[in-house]
Amino acid sequence: MQPFNYLIADTLDAALAEYAENRPVLKAGGIDLVDRMKERLATPAVVLSLGEVEVLRYIEPEGEGVRLGCLTTLADIGRSELLNSRYAALAESAGHAATPQVRERATLGGNLCQRPRCWYFRAIHFHCLKKGGATCFAVEGENQYHAVLGGGPCHIVHPSNCAPPLVAMEALFVVRRAGAEERVIPAREFFVLPSSALDRENVLAPGEILTEVRIPRAPDQSATIELREKQSFDWPLAMASVARVDGRRWNVCLGAVAPVPWVSEEAAEVLGSADITPELAARAGEAAAQAAQPMSDNGYKTQLIKVAVKRALLKAAGQEVPA
Amino acid sequence: MTWRPDNRLALENDGSRVDVRDKVTGAARYTTDYYPEGLLWASYIRCPYGKAFLRSSKLEAARAAPGVVEVELEKQEGTYPGDRLGHICAESRQALEQGLAALALEFERDRPATDIEREKKPLETFDEDPSVQEKQADLERIFSEAAHTLERTYQTQVQTHSCLEPHNSLVDYRGDHAIARQSTQATFSVRNELTEVLGLPPDKVEMHCEHVGGGFGSKFGLSPEGQLAAKLSKKHGRPVRVLMNREEEHLDNGLRPGSLQYMKLAIGPDGKLLGGRIHTWGSVGPVGGGGGTSNPSRYNFGIVAKTHQDVNLNSGFPRAMRAPGHPQGMFAVEMMMDELAEAAGMDPLEFRRLNETSDVRRAMLDVGAEQIGWHRRKPSGTWEGPLKRGFGIGVADWGNSPGEATITIHVYPNGNVEVLSGSQDIGTGFRTLLVDCVAHQLGIDRARVEAKVGVSTYPPGPGSGGSVTSRFVAPKALGAAEQARQDLRQRVAREWGVPADEVAAENGVFKHADRTMSWNEACKLIGQDRLTVTEKENGIFWKEPTGSEAVQFAEVEVDVETGIVRVKKVVALQNVGQAVNCKTVENQITGGVIQGISFALFEDRILNRQTGAMVNPNLEFYKIAGSRDIPEIVPIIWQSRPDAGVNSLGEPPVVPTPGAVGCAVANAIGVPVRRMPITPWRVLSALAERDGGAV
Repeated sequence: MQPFNYLIADTLDAALAEYAENRPVLKAGGIDLVDRMKERLATPAVVLSLGEVEVLRYIEPEGEGVRLGCLTTLADIGRSELLNSRYAALAESAGHAATPQVRERATLGGNLCQRPRCWYFRAIHFHCLKKGGATCFAVEGENQYHAVLGGGPCHIVHPSNCAPPLVAMEALFVVRRAGAEERVIPAREFFVLPSSALDRENVLAPGEILTEVRIPRAPDQSATIELREKQSFDWPLAMASVARVDGRRWNVCLGAVAPVPWVSEEAAEVLGSADITPELAARAGEAAAQAAQPMSDNGYKTQLIKVAVKRALLKAAGQEVPA
Repeated sequence: MTWRPDNRLALENDGSRVDVRDKVTGAARYTTDYYPEGLLWASYIRCPYGKAFLRSSKLEAARAAPGVVEVELEKQEGTYPGDRLGHICAESRQALEQGLAALALEFERDRPATDIEREKKPLETFDEDPSVQEKQADLERIFSEAAHTLERTYQTQVQTHSCLEPHNSLVDYRGDHAIARQSTQATFSVRNELTEVLGLPPDKVEMHCEHVGGGFGSKFGLSPEGQLAAKLSKKHGRPVRVLMNREEEHLDNGLRPGSLQYMKLAIGPDGKLLGGRIHTWGSVGPVGGGGGTSNPSRYNFGIVAKTHQDVNLNSGFPRAMRAPGHPQGMFAVEMMMDELAEAAGMDPLEFRRLNETSDVRRAMLDVGAEQIGWHRRKPSGTWEGPLKRGFGIGVADWGNSPGEATITIHVYPNGNVEVLSGSQDIGTGFRTLLVDCVAHQLGIDRARVEAKVGVSTYPPGPGSGGSVTSRFVAPKALGAAEQARQDLRQRVAREWGVPADEVAAENGVFKHADRTMSWNEACKLIGQDRLTVTEKENGIFWKEPTGSEAVQFAEVEVDVETGIVRVKKVVALQNVGQAVNCKTVENQITGGVIQGISFALFEDRILNRQTGAMVNPNLEFYKIAGSRDIPEIVPIIWQSRPDAGVNSLGEPPVVPTPGAVGCAVANAIGVPVRRMPITPWRVLSALAERDGGAV
């Protein structure tokens, strides 16, 4: 790791001011950033830690919904009775991410804003598209963990497993910036595809910090299914979060299969606002996988999408699914 | 004197390992816990690609970086990812990393050889081999008489050792002598190589290894880390540390070679194996070999013509890894056994019993079958619902032979005992073995005995490879303790004025008629500073060896919609001869099973086909079984004979697991997945292929 100056913000305003003025690199739990610094992928001169900004760590019911501070840890979310009972899709994915140790450090904001886990992006000797190079090595190389939807010219999958449930539950992301009003962005509009930007995965502008996630209305039903090779400390191969909000139609959002949390309009269309039956769930799964365009080695993900969607719907409907 | 030495050995000890507290509290000191004054750091400069030429580097910038002591480039061409092109040495780890970054290496890449299938010679080439030709007539006869003949190819991936404690060395050359510390499986081999590099006699080089965080065969000899540390320490007259990072661990510290295994085997109408043709290919480094597999092995295969080719790739070099050649060989063997049994319409357990070479294992098969509930096994692919259960069997054994070691024991007048060996505790419980042998033979509480190991000035002992440490050392530890016991018995007899052979010495208490003397009182009779005995002979404590046979049964659950495999239970029977300490024995068996499951389902060294660089040189994408991936494991210590000696244990328990898991998966889903690791991708592909599609 290269030497750097380490600043610790003790208030949000101080953090916003420092961030606006000197453009340090932000650190929340450090799970992602410290890895990238060790690999020399990030060599910041100044790191600004938000770790002491305790006011950003909360889970507050508000109206018919809930507000979560972005420094809330994944462990906090996984333990929350409120979230487990009314926002199951989120509590399940946060509560099963990585390992207990990582979940105690990893924050909601960090989970949503972490850089991709693509093994070409993560290694300094692959000068890939995302790092300013000319090649996406996944295209002709090892791509078993890469995108089957929305890929090109870069084929990462978005690593956040809190994002799909939040998109499905129609969450809003609150962004702050020094001297400006808060900006509220619907979760599904927060993430950007590589076809529009290669150097980032979301719409955050310089100086902006994601501070809060709002779920305006608890879903009537929700669930997440994540499919992993290993059951301990592994990234999902595919995941699906589903939610039905306010008696309206079902939302289906896929994770780990596209460069952004992938909203499946095809599945939503099949489902409408209907009650879930095994046949309907299976049809929705088929629909979600319809547009998949696998690469040489990740065709199996198409099948995993079908199963994840089907099982998430059945689980949301209170039916037993294989664990 | 007519004293009959007591060589009972029913230790059946269940004590915790003696250094458990040190390990749990962090008090145990590893090589990297030492920071001598004036420490320099050094590392290799490496080529990350499979085949590349160093086009440019900023050598002067690196040399000018603050704290950098020296930077040398010795060659320009890299022939495997991690190839050592030169080295860098600096005042601190920080300076070392900054110097490496300043080097800004630029490479010209060439197309690397990364794929064993693409690079291997075709099978037909090897049919010309004289060893095949001379069996040609037999093979033709066998295939014509066969009731069933199957032709299959199995593939296993490269597994890296992934020691949690990376390879590291600390050498402190002080002109007329040197002190070295290294994480090693062989204290004396490191010391011996140091004498050559440093130009010092063996008595002037003191080598220490207190604790080791895993070696699995990759930590023998001075190794690249020790070579560099020694060379630079001698040059600069300062202590030098070389500590590999995780990427270097994966790239250049050894691996279990990958394999392709072709088998064409025939069985007779009675289900007995008649023989056939086997050819294996092993993936090895850019030069040299080391890719052999133990296929055929264990079963009675009949007449087999076997050939092998090592396939050179632009990849790291193999290094011995826990039962080299065996887990991958037995994966193919067990999978083939199940496919043959299926073809013959026989139960795989019966088929194995019929073709088994060992009566011990035949008995173990029966007990294991009962323990796993083999009767619950259904014909392949007949389980209802998306979650399918399957059962599989794997077998192994390991050789046992005596070897050299010396043990010294000090008994102090206060009753405390020390047992010394220069051999190293690689984490498997060598200290515990010594303490339990000595305490048992003296009949005293194990808390009174301390083991001192891993220093080259202590008595010589073996390197920990080939599962030899316990079987080489235990007889001498028992013999030394027995000598000490007899010495004390004579002192007590003299004190009482009675013949020594009339004094009983049981459980640390000396008795004659109605007189008794405690261990502590007896030890006060030691006239000198202490009583020292040394033993280098096996004597009566070496017993005719057994075979360290192993049999494992695996039960798995496979989700055929997702391809996800979960191992539910493994019953692992292991013959170890005499178990000295049951907990450490069970621990070894369990560890072998976990490593075998991890190999079967997850671990995979993946090279990028364009550049030859490894895409997963970390523990995030080089996947190792975690706590939730580990099933119920039932280790069963098998003793085939009541009078057995201490036999091999380290390697055999890792051998049967991949085969047992592979067979269980095939039984569950009704189609064999012939390539490891058995990932969802491979399971779904195998199912789709059977159904005439592709994934």
